[in-house]
Amino acid sequence: MRRLLPILLFLFPALAQVVVEPGWVRLVPPVVPDTAAYLTLVNRGRTPLRLVGAETPVASRVSLHRDHQEHKGGHAVLGMRPLPYVEVPPGGKVAFRPGGYHLMLEGLKRPLKAGEKVELTLLFQGGLKVKVVLPVERR
Amino acid sequence: MKRLWPAFLILGLLGLGYLLLPKGGHSFFGTRLLNPKPVDFTLEGPKGPVRLADFRDKLVLIFFGFVHCPDVCPTTMISLKQVYEKLSPEEQRRVQVVFISVDPERDTPEIADQYAKAFHPAFLGLTGRPEEVQEVARAFGVYYQKTAYRGPGAYLVDHTATTFVVQGGRLVLLLSPDKLNFAQNPGYLPKVVADLRALL
Repeated sequence: MRRLLPILLFLFPALAQVVVEPGWVRLVPPVVPDTAAYLTLVNRGRTPLRLVGAETPVASRVSLHRDHQEHKGGHAVLGMRPLPYVEVPPGGKVAFRPGGYHLMLEGLKRPLKAGEKVELTLLFQGGLKVKVVLPVERR
Repeated sequence: MKRLWPAFLILGLLGLGYLLLPKGGHSFFGTRLLNPKPVDFTLEGPKGPVRLADFRDKLVLIFFGFVHCPDVCPTTMISLKQVYEKLSPEEQRRVQVVFISVDPERDTPEIADQYAKAFHPAFLGLTGRPEEVQEVARAFGVYYQKTAYRGPGAYLVDHTATTFVVQGGRLVLLLSPDKLNFAQNPGYLPKVVADLRALL
């Protein structure tokens, strides 16, 4: 197996390319059907990495968003904009965090509980899938 | 030497002005409004109509948002909870946090209130008919607009994320979302608490 690994990595370079640093899922009031997941994507490869979507058993849809800010009437107007993909440059990283990028888990199938673990499958361009498990946290 | 007289005079006047400045006053972290604007509204709460003037003897913190908002709104709501919990029980009795949903199509007064109470049981959630909400938003200079519309019930809302502080029926202080983002700036929490204490 040890001798096989470099060959496998050569055949599937993407396996070694992406590292997902742990994050968390926001605990929202039970009345809210959507929440946000946060994590950090690290691209160790030599080509750009594109996150194109995600799936989770706890929500009917996962979309990628970036916060949007503009000023109207002297106040900060905030919102979010859906993104078709999030690109991580070679050797770079993209942090998903409040006020920036987030994965929106839309249509929660049941209210989440603090401390519970949520499984999320990240879908990258080229067909690579990476499964991550994130804790639900109140913060 | 004679030529220097005007300079001495100016320095002297500046010194006198400095001595006359009010001392020991609180320097506000939020934006203090010098000409507090009178505000009032009546919206629907979970148990019927609620009028802002009902809280005349309290400091009212108002945040406009919507329930299907997983990133922006919880950041401010959690910060408001942290601020509220820093106050003594006696101070808490003189403060009311109000969440107003600008998405009355999806958020009923009950949903808005359950949302607010999930952050703190003492918080209050309100909304109203779309034209009522619009009227209140206009009075506060709040902007909101649907975006990313995918169909009825599936859209996002851009909204002014300022927290408005009302005292005695007048808008006295504004707190921008940055100043209420303690996740990124934990040092802001005591500053906001100090602002409220200065008003109480």
